[in-house]
Amino acid sequence: MNNENKLKGRDLINVGIYSAIYFVIMMAVAMLGMIPIFLPLLSVIVPILGGIPFMLFLTKVKKPGMIFIMAMIMGIMMLITGMGPWPLLTCAVAGIIAELVVRSGQYKSVAKSILAYGFFSMWIWGNYLPLFTDYEGYFAQRESYGQAYIDALQKLMPLWMAPVLLIACFVCGIAGGFLGRVLLKKHFEKAGIV
Amino acid sequence: MKYSSESAQEKRRGFLDPRTKIALTVCMAVFVLGGLGGTVMEPVKNALSVLPFLLLLIEKQWNRFLRGFMMLAIGYGLLFLMPHLQGTLQFVALMCGGILTRFVVTVVMGEYLVGTTSVSEFISAMERLHMPQEITIPMSVMFRLFPTIGAEWKSIRRAMGMRGISLGGVRAGQLLEYQMVPMMTSSVRIGEELSASALTRGLGAPVKRTNICRIGFRIQDILLLFVCIVTVVLWIMSLCGVALWNN
Amino acid sequence: MVELKNVSFRYGAEEVEDKYENSLCEINLTVSKGEFLLLTGPSGCGKTTILRLINGLIPQFYHGDVTGAVLVDGVNISGRELYENALLVGTVFQNPRTQFYNVDTTCELAFGCENQGVSETEIYSRIDSTVAHFQMKDLMERNIFHLSDGEKQKIACASVDVAGTEIILLDEPSANLDHKSTLMLRELIKKWKDAGKTIIAAEHRIAYLWDLIDRAVILREGRIIRELKGEEKDTVTIDRLKKMGLRTTIMEDPSQIKFPMIKDGDQIISIRDFRFSYRGAERAVIDIPELSIAEGEITAIVGKNGAGKTSLLNCICGLEKRCKGTLVYKGKFYSRRDRKKLVFMVMQDTGNQLFTESVLDEVLISLPKGTSDEKGRAMQILKDLDLDGFTDRHPQSLSGGQKQRLAIACAIASGREILLLDEPTSGLDYAHMEETAQLMKNLRKKGTTILVVTHDSELIHNCCGRILSV
Repeated sequence: MNNENKLKGRDLINVGIYSAIYFVIMMAVAMLGMIPIFLPLLSVIVPILGGIPFMLFLTKVKKPGMIFIMAMIMGIMMLITGMGPWPLLTCAVAGIIAELVVRSGQYKSVAKSILAYGFFSMWIWGNYLPLFTDYEGYFAQRESYGQAYIDALQKLMPLWMAPVLLIACFVCGIAGGFLGRVLLKKHFEKAGIV
Repeated sequence: MKYSSESAQEKRRGFLDPRTKIALTVCMAVFVLGGLGGTVMEPVKNALSVLPFLLLLIEKQWNRFLRGFMMLAIGYGLLFLMPHLQGTLQFVALMCGGILTRFVVTVVMGEYLVGTTSVSEFISAMERLHMPQEITIPMSVMFRLFPTIGAEWKSIRRAMGMRGISLGGVRAGQLLEYQMVPMMTSSVRIGEELSASALTRGLGAPVKRTNICRIGFRIQDILLLFVCIVTVVLWIMSLCGVALWNN
Repeated sequence: MVELKNVSFRYGAEEVEDKYENSLCEINLTVSKGEFLLLTGPSGCGKTTILRLINGLIPQFYHGDVTGAVLVDGVNISGRELYENALLVGTVFQNPRTQFYNVDTTCELAFGCENQGVSETEIYSRIDSTVAHFQMKDLMERNIFHLSDGEKQKIACASVDVAGTEIILLDEPSANLDHKSTLMLRELIKKWKDAGKTIIAAEHRIAYLWDLIDRAVILREGRIIRELKGEEKDTVTIDRLKKMGLRTTIMEDPSQIKFPMIKDGDQIISIRDFRFSYRGAERAVIDIPELSIAEGEITAIVGKNGAGKTSLLNCICGLEKRCKGTLVYKGKFYSRRDRKKLVFMVMQDTGNQLFTESVLDEVLISLPKGTSDEKGRAMQILKDLDLDGFTDRHPQSLSGGQKQRLAIACAIASGREILLLDEPTSGLDYAHMEETAQLMKNLRKKGTTILVVTHDSELIHNCCGRILSV
């Protein structure tokens, strides 16, 4: 890696700043998710609102690695708040894809940055994974609650929901990317913080 | 008496090393939340589930303990009520109960980790785990900014109230926009000032950073790490087809 | 120790709106070892820019075109990394709330040394000696977010001290401090001076260090216009300084100013049963059974950092949900909710109370529903406040003083009769302070009652008629 592309203190602090804003927004939305009926909705709201800080973040990204680091930090935060190691995995994958997409646009292309945010948002899917892993085994353990329980849970989180949620993350991510761009043009560029 | 920062740091040292807490959190997430190991591991999982509650009590985190306990009680309460309910209500009770009881253990463990670990302890642990600066610097900036963003958010909400921008007030449709824009602007500005100050104090120098925060493994850490290892060993044994218990 | 040779500088396009503001033009300046130099002059004169050149933030952090050479300790620092400069130069910044990196005080003191990889035992002993020297044992192992601004600034100074650099830069460190904290800051700076450190301070409030400095350099529009030292510095009159756009050299404790709280014949606004404490705190920050304020006057609210002045404003404004109590104005009783429509506050972080995408729009949303010729009225208000040249600008891109005026414009548009200001002149030079004072006097003439929280004695003398000590 040549010296120009090495991440410096300021770049790393920038990653921290935007990760903090993104995470705070996510946590505010996640409070809704405490009511389990809203749980699937997280894959809709978080990508949309998160697009606002993320698109601003991308205007500061000129070197490879920053997006991937932000994704990994989200994974670590999920790990220590008790969501398990699966987000770490999806974060790594989503982070790398987003990184590559932005890179292919030379860190300038607007269309590529919106697309990249769509891919980035797919990390959220990792939070749902524990509900789908060991699907059969989980129900087997709870037979004591009777057939009604199993039926109901299967209705809420049927296996086919897994790919649906993943796609929802991506699509809403794209929508969030557009929203972020709109606010960027309307406010942040004029406000002089870009 | 003369002040000694070294002994003051030693006195503040936490009950557990943050690395132990992280290991426990991962262990619980994999086995209890993720359901790895299936039914055979059930007794081990139950034993693990008690730990976070116990730890909260040991560290006198009464509020967090109560919150976790309430979640557990509501979850099981709903599951208990469920057979007596009808239709949609039954469905809702099931869902809430099911998800609550499933996530409660790891969420309580997370509460314990977040509530009893100072930022410097956490960063120190990350450094000892050989996490690169590329991860530790953004994370410490993040923890530093959380309270600030919270305060800005509050101040903006108040200002909106004073300006008469609210649901049912002026421009209710743009509520979200009006909240997000100043919040982002001021957070970014604060972040810039923070960077300037941190950089003039040598952040990002290509040397091995030192850290005055005292962490390290003690007897209680070794004991709990042993619990994690035993869990993994039992799981591997069960995978290999060894009958763990006779039932 | 520090030498600027024929230095010119202009900020890059992305950094500031007005490129010429804060730029420098052919500056030659030499600071010798152990000297205490003051850089002063009106806002935008370039004093902060000089400090940024010396600590390397320019051009590493703030980009622009630099010509000439900046030598620190004989080394040309352009092209050096910031962490290399950190070994030579330490900086205390203006805003106590944004310059700390850690959450707890002990780690904050250690931060600079940790970054350079100094051994733990060495750091401990350096911290211990700074703590003893600055007498700040009571501030150790605390959460920085729970400290007052004065205490935060003390931590900032201490962390520079622990890093142990020979050169110390001070970038308006007193801007947010009350009288007592400013005196404390003075003591710390004096300790550095006695220890033989080279100190360069950029300040508007020059009173607290005027007798400590060896030399004052006065700048204007990026050029050095005057140098004062020795006898000339000691005998210069306040009027001459005023003409150069400078503040007074006499320090005055605002709580010692002898103005009445109310005079005979004043109409009274009365506040009743105001009680407020932070969630979980036992002690009440505010506990006022009854308080009288003069209607139609400008009242200064003074008191030390953390005494609850801002909380009082919040309560009067009706922004603290947990503070009940009533306000009686012109014979009418106002509950918390009613007060929201009567009182307007210009907050310290004015940026947080501006929401829309243009200056004009900002005033438009404040006008009461059903105003005829909304646009004309809004333009008139903006014109009165000298903001008519900025109608299309984004409010967040304005300077601090302009944001403040815009907030006041919104207050006028909404027709509020009581205006609260929270430290409107912190960090303002003489001319801008006078401008704010004039604006407040004009509003008073129109019948607005004004309460202003301030540490600025000059402002109080300039426009306030009543004083309230908290």
